[in-house]
Amino acid sequence: MMKKAIFLSLIIVFTAAAALADTVTVITKENAIREYAKFFAPVKATVRYNDRLEALSMEGDWYKVKYGPSIGYIHRTAVEKRAVAQPASYARKGSSVSQSEAALAGKGFNPQVEASYKRQHPEMKYGLVDSVEHYPVPERDIAQFIVAGGLRQP
Amino acid sequence: MTKKCLALLCAPLLLAALVSCDTSSFGNISQHIGTAMTVVDQTSRASRPITDEEEYYVGRAVAAKILGSYQLTTNAQLTRYVNLIGRTVALNSDKPFTYGGYHFAILETNEINAFAAPGGTIFITSGMIRTTASEDELAAVLAHEVAHICKRDGIAAIKSARWTEALTVIGATAARNYTSGEVSQLVSLFEGSIDDVFKTLVVNGYGRSQEYAADESAAQTLAKCGYDPRALLSFLKRLEQRSGSSGGGIMATHPATGDRIENVSGKIPSTAPIHPRAIEARAARYGAAVR
Repeated sequence: MMKKAIFLSLIIVFTAAAALADTVTVITKENAIREYAKFFAPVKATVRYNDRLEALSMEGDWYKVKYGPSIGYIHRTAVEKRAVAQPASYARKGSSVSQSEAALAGKGFNPQVEASYKRQHPEMKYGLVDSVEHYPVPERDIAQFIVAGGLRQP
Repeated sequence: MTKKCLALLCAPLLLAALVSCDTSSFGNISQHIGTAMTVVDQTSRASRPITDEEEYYVGRAVAAKILGSYQLTTNAQLTRYVNLIGRTVALNSDKPFTYGGYHFAILETNEINAFAAPGGTIFITSGMIRTTASEDELAAVLAHEVAHICKRDGIAAIKSARWTEALTVIGATAARNYTSGEVSQLVSLFEGSIDDVFKTLVVNGYGRSQEYAADESAAQTLAKCGYDPRALLSFLKRLEQRSGSSGGGIMATHPATGDRIENVSGKIPSTAPIHPRAIEARAARYGAAVR
């Protein structure tokens, strides 16, 4: 009876440890998993804030990751390693994000706080901020700009 | 680190519980692990720094406030040009990705200034652009602002007591949505945080050491881009010459330009000479966009 308990508990501990070691979480609104470890490499998949990726290895400033069926690269500043993982039973159904992480992600100064602040301060120029944020700068244009100006490919 | 330590402390307790337990109670084990992990998580959250996502929302409000005092330029060609240089610089910086990304906008004013709103929105005045003499110098100004973003200098201006108070509200509930009372408290703290950052950016300026570090980082970033890092020095020298005619803007919020020159002079990385064709190409597009 005791042996069975120890065996089962070890399985749980090892499973949890594996989840802790090999996962990185996306910390930007949106990002890309690239074919190779370069900024302008072809995009294999798009990932969003709080998506969890399986980290396979590290090459310079890039993580080699697995996301669904896609294997590719993401820059280290677009993800973070979170030490605290939750058992599967704590994760939301159909999501790779735990409730704890979702709560942390949405807490603090969040869209709800911004919306309330906006209502109190209609004079604030949020419309202009949105237009600045949505100004399109296609990757292809940046790459061409770099080449035309004799600059170095990052 | 704190999380790891707490997790390590909890591990023996968990193992002890596992070993001593009866299989009839095994169904509760995963629940116990979950509870223990939640305690670790909550404890570590009690003194956490501002996240990138929170920095983004503070930055948006600071940007909205700046845009209440200045007009955005209508010069589409110049806006595109500044964005292309800015994005190139950001990709070569210490932090190529922020939560909401980097964005660059031009404020239509003769004032010589530039502001980095937390999270990645950078404003440069048309007066500042006219003070530069080349694409490399314009890149130097933008690289300095990008460095403030990478080092989170703007967000560091938020008074620690204010953030500590915010954390007590944030930590009071596990729910993603707040009650109206909590929102009201948080909005008040949010507003105070915006004022802290805005005052630092527009009125008081960053500390001397933050400005020096941003200059040093800008020189490194320029070299990584393939720009001439000495462009930072040539720009600062021109700025120093102008300091007699303009006491406001950047002169009011930055350390004496002479001191900045002295600090960064010995810290410019040596680079290979730039190909004459590249110099020509940059001069042509700078001339087309700026003059």
